Amino acid sequence: MASTACFIIVSRNDIPIYEAEVGSAIKKEEAAHQHQFILHAALDIVQDLAWTTSAMFLKSTDRLMLLHDSRNEDGIKSFFQEVHELYIKILLNPLYLPGSRITSAHFDTKVRALARRYL
Amino acid sequence: MEPDVSMESGSMIRVAVLPVGGAIPPPLLRTYTSMLTRHSVVDLSSISSFYSEHQKSPFSHQPWDSGSLRFKFVLGAHPPSPWDDFQPSRKTLAVVALAHLPSVPDLGALSEQLSSACKPYASSALAVRCFAFDPSDAQLEEGRRRGERGSDIVLFPPSDRQAQELHMLTMVQDLAATLLMEFEKAVLRTESAGTILKTPLDSQASLGSEEVIKAKKRRLGRAQKTIGDYCLLAGSPVDANAHYSTAIELARLTNDVFWHAGALEGSVCALLVDRRGHKDPVLEEEVKYRYYSVIQLYRRSFIQDNAQRVSTVSFELEAALKLARFLCRRELAKEVVELLMGAADGAKSLIDANDRLILYVEIARLFGTLGYQRKAAFFSRQVAQLYLQQDNACAATSAMQVLSMTSKAYHVQSRGANSKLCASRLELASNHTEGGKVQPQSIISLFESQWSTLQMVVLREILMSSVRAGDPLAAWSAAARLLRSFYPLITPPGQSGLASSLANSAERLPLGTRSADPALPFIRLHSFPLHPSQTDIIKRNPGKKEWWAGSAPSGPFIYTPFSKGGATDNNKQELTWIVGEPVQVLVELANPCAFDLLVESIYLSVHSGNLDAFPVSVSLPPNTSKVILLSGIPTKVGPVSIPGCILHCFGVITEHLFKEVDNLLLGVAQGLVLSDPFRCCGSSKLKNVHIPSISVVPSLPLLVSHVVGGDSAAILYEGEIRDIWISLTNAGTVPVEQAHISLTGKNQDSVISIAHENLRSGLPLKPGAEVTLPVTIKAWQLGMVDSDHDASSSSSGSSRRISKEGSCPLLVIHYAGPLLHPSESSVTEYPVPPGRRLVVPLHVCILQGLRYVKARLLSMEIPSHVSKTFSNNVNVDKNVSGGASFQNRPNSLLKIDPYRGSWGLHLLELELSNPTDVVFEVNVSVQLDDGPKNDDQNASIVDHDTAEFGCPKTRIDRECSSRVLIPLEHFKLPVLDGSIFAKDYQRNDSLGSKVTGMAEWNTKAELNASINNLISKIKVRWQSGRNSSGELNIKDATQAALQASVVDILLPDPLTFEFRLAKHGHISERLDGSLDSKMQVVSPGSPSGQSTDESTVRSKESIQAHEMTPMEVYIRNNTRERIRMSLSVTCRDVAGDNCIEGASATVLWAGILTGISLEVLPLQEVAHSFSLYFLVPGEYTLLAAAVIDDATDVLRARAKTESLEPIFCRGSPFHVHVMGTA
Repeated sequence: MASTACFIIVSRNDIPIYEAEVGSAIKKEEAAHQHQFILHAALDIVQDLAWTTSAMFLKSTDRLMLLHDSRNEDGIKSFFQEVHELYIKILLNPLYLPGSRITSAHFDTKVRALARRYL
Repeated sequence: MEPDVSMESGSMIRVAVLPVGGAIPPPLLRTYTSMLTRHSVVDLSSISSFYSEHQKSPFSHQPWDSGSLRFKFVLGAHPPSPWDDFQPSRKTLAVVALAHLPSVPDLGALSEQLSSACKPYASSALAVRCFAFDPSDAQLEEGRRRGERGSDIVLFPPSDRQAQELHMLTMVQDLAATLLMEFEKAVLRTESAGTILKTPLDSQASLGSEEVIKAKKRRLGRAQKTIGDYCLLAGSPVDANAHYSTAIELARLTNDVFWHAGALEGSVCALLVDRRGHKDPVLEEEVKYRYYSVIQLYRRSFIQDNAQRVSTVSFELEAALKLARFLCRRELAKEVVELLMGAADGAKSLIDANDRLILYVEIARLFGTLGYQRKAAFFSRQVAQLYLQQDNACAATSAMQVLSMTSKAYHVQSRGANSKLCASRLELASNHTEGGKVQPQSIISLFESQWSTLQMVVLREILMSSVRAGDPLAAWSAAARLLRSFYPLITPPGQSGLASSLANSAERLPLGTRSADPALPFIRLHSFPLHPSQTDIIKRNPGKKEWWAGSAPSGPFIYTPFSKGGATDNNKQELTWIVGEPVQVLVELANPCAFDLLVESIYLSVHSGNLDAFPVSVSLPPNTSKVILLSGIPTKVGPVSIPGCILHCFGVITEHLFKEVDNLLLGVAQGLVLSDPFRCCGSSKLKNVHIPSISVVPSLPLLVSHVVGGDSAAILYEGEIRDIWISLTNAGTVPVEQAHISLTGKNQDSVISIAHENLRSGLPLKPGAEVTLPVTIKAWQLGMVDSDHDASSSSSGSSRRISKEGSCPLLVIHYAGPLLHPSESSVTEYPVPPGRRLVVPLHVCILQGLRYVKARLLSMEIPSHVSKTFSNNVNVDKNVSGGASFQNRPNSLLKIDPYRGSWGLHLLELELSNPTDVVFEVNVSVQLDDGPKNDDQNASIVDHDTAEFGCPKTRIDRECSSRVLIPLEHFKLPVLDGSIFAKDYQRNDSLGSKVTGMAEWNTKAELNASINNLISKIKVRWQSGRNSSGELNIKDATQAALQASVVDILLPDPLTFEFRLAKHGHISERLDGSLDSKMQVVSPGSPSGQSTDESTVRSKESIQAHEMTPMEVYIRNNTRERIRMSLSVTCRDVAGDNCIEGASATVLWAGILTGISLEVLPLQEVAHSFSLYFLVPGEYTLLAAAVIDDATDVLRARAKTESLEPIFCRGSPFHVHVMGTA
């Protein structure tokens, strides 16, 4: 498992709709901010690359972003695929307004479990 | 590292710009520098006049016609660096001092200051100039003298700007020429003398003996590179290129990596300067290729041992930045990003914090140019953090400025900074809400980028840096933004901390500072109170004369829930305000934070400027919301827009827009915003209130009403009639020219009359004038609901019932001023000023008065006396009979004539109680209009009599009850008609035609009408005390009491019997006894022709014992059909025994008395004659009875029988007084 990992789902409007610190390292307040700052800054490039690169595991307009320090590409790939499935389930919920924050506790637990398994 | 480097910076001459000679006012300094810095490029062609060739120029290929010198003006001091030898473009090659002469004592002092200011640059500066502005005449004179001796001080005489600019251009060209000549000297010096060029990289130890030759070559190479640099500075790229090629060769040979890189860099610069203006892919490829090798070479020159002391990393990074800037285009974004990210990584190995700062600044700038705003923001934040690590106010200011630049990317910017964006966003929101249908996606865009964690961090940093920088307004604004947007995420101590930092910042701000960013509280529009009914405004339609007609609420409710709801829902709701009349708006404030909030003043923000708003002060405890009333007075005609409120809170003036909070609440509804400030303060959810379009109209008349004698409710007993005087005063400034009164509300019919004339004659009502109009009102009956309610609520108190609030009728007065306002007749927006409506509630408090307890129908039977009369003096009789009966009976209400008798007299007994504490006097009267016989004259007289004398007053003391008897007489219909039983008919006779049905229906209606008529004739009037009088409403009670036996009262019997004495065979004498009714009120006004002169009859007493008395019985058929019957007549004595038949018969008779078969034609009479012979004087009773054969349905219905048996019809008894003969 990676020592540092911050997972975030960003909606089409660049609003983070889900965020989770999934790293095993002891969390520090500032570090958490830093991760978010980095992810936020990365959005620019992600946006640019979204349709040009083949390195995206999922071609999705809502972006799933993981800040990580592990080299386990396969793990990340499977993590993304599983989380994407979960995310689609959330999207299918008729009560969920696409683009609003994901508040489901179930989703959160599942994502964290996946992070433990794959990262 | 240097800021703002580019590939071409090698060709730029650095000029230090220094202010000298005392302080220069900042605006002037700005003007002077702007005049100077615009000349950053000086064409070689333009300086040829200043240039004089002292020796042969080393720049053989100088392009005099197309080339140029480039200046880089650096304001302020720039310390020389150890790397200056490596790149002459880093040196400060010239100094330009700026002086503002009015602040300089004399030119001597100035030149002293100049020389001291130039001291740090003495080693490098090749030229020094001092531009002195605004000299006085004396100074000019002095300057002229000094100028002769040759001075660096150039005086700019005061003139217009254009002249000064021209002067400046000349001076800069002169400077450029000087520099060019200096460069030539420097090149020649370098070529000849072989100066040793060193960088901090070259350690002394490295120059070993065996490397002397190598070192010499190296030195040659370095010299070539330096000459190349000077060529570049002198604007001769071709020369530079030649020298660079040599330098590169030599550096490669001597393995002088660092200088190799420098030369290569220079060559690229020369290439670019040479090819300025043409950019082609080939060139780009070439540049890219060379620069990558430059970076590579710089990297190689990095020596691990002295990395602590000197490092070439900054050159490597600079080169990377230069390349990135060169490539910085959208299409090459990937490459640039890689370069920049590589450079960012290199930041760690930079020793100097300043270098790191510059690097981050450059990276951020480049990302910004690339369009990567978020990346730029990220690095800007890094810059700010570096600044914050320095501990001085200047750095903090820089940090603050940098952070406020990032605020856009993080969406936390101050509203003042980008009012345009906010405006557009507001507009967007308003479009959404007005469109009715809200698109969720577009709403989300309103709450773009909810990176709340980041936003809070950034705002906190802005707050911190601005506090440190000593910028209270920025600190205030940051704290306000933080508190307003993220209060749910901040702990209560944190919130209080922010509040105190707001207060602290405000202390340092001058009073009345404005901030664009609102802090707390949240303010939303609650409602616009409608005009009170006293000042309501009605649109006036000039074309319609009765403009008020449609405007008054139809229906019984003046405020219907529907109309009210409709008004608030309606987007097109319009409000009209009047110049000079105060208006009010309700707003709701919420303080969702954990500290006490004191709003020093709050008032409406009016952008249209035609409203004077009144400030109020509010205090909001933690987590509360309050609805407050804001008021103002319109001052000018025109539309009013109220976008929000202006607040003085936390020491600063801010404007709070309603729209913003609306958007916030919209976001809450969609689950996009953290929390609803109003809901968490316990305020209920409010419907979105639209700001209506408000317009101000010129002043209107204003009527104020009051009731004469006090505005309190008039206390009336039920049924009381009283006048209420209402006085109307025009309190406005415009006369009332039209007025119209109408009624509305409950119990409208209790208003009997309104003096319309009074008002009409008072028009036009000038300002201040008054008119009084009386309104006559009759107190209505208290309903049962009232009493129930009251009984339960005040069971212990008096059981008196009082009318409820709101049951009063309302007087609605529509009024208007003149059609055209005299002073503002030119105003076209309001060609017709609207009218107004005044609603005056007629405050009446109704007390329970006389209470009706119950009504009963009593019947009384008094037999008639047989007497005789002559039918030819009927008319005379009547009038006399009135008087006679009065004499007979003191109680004239029941005028029963003992000689006529009254069989089946019906009396209505009313039981009235007086629960009040006053005494009532009751006066019952029965109004008789023309009766069945249509004797008008008679009727009127009788009526008069009744009212006058007929009814003595009944006094009912308080808490007592009494009964009043009302005789019911003469309500019989003349004919017993089948149609009355129409219902029964239709049931039985299925063949009944429609026409008869209709006729029957009409008759039925007639019957009902006559019942109502009957009831309405009975009036119970009361009087209490001196001035209250009224009438008791007992209609319903009477009707209920009469309902059961109404048929008996109204319908005649089918047959009536009459006994008459036949006098001597030629004049028949009537034995008056109307057998037709079971009840008969014998009143003087009885219109029947049957009334007899009683006194005459008595005096002519003619029935004697022992005498044959001829008699006739008249049978009248009251139906429309012929009736066959068998009649029988009996006579009974006092004991009730039959005295005609039997053993002890005391009466003998002649003629037939039993079983007489008769047939009576419709509405005709038949007579049957017989004679009686009384043996014993005394009282006898004559009775006639008939058995009707072949009874019709009508008769059966009247007799209330269904069976087919014959109907027995009995007349009423007659008394016969038989006198003795003795």
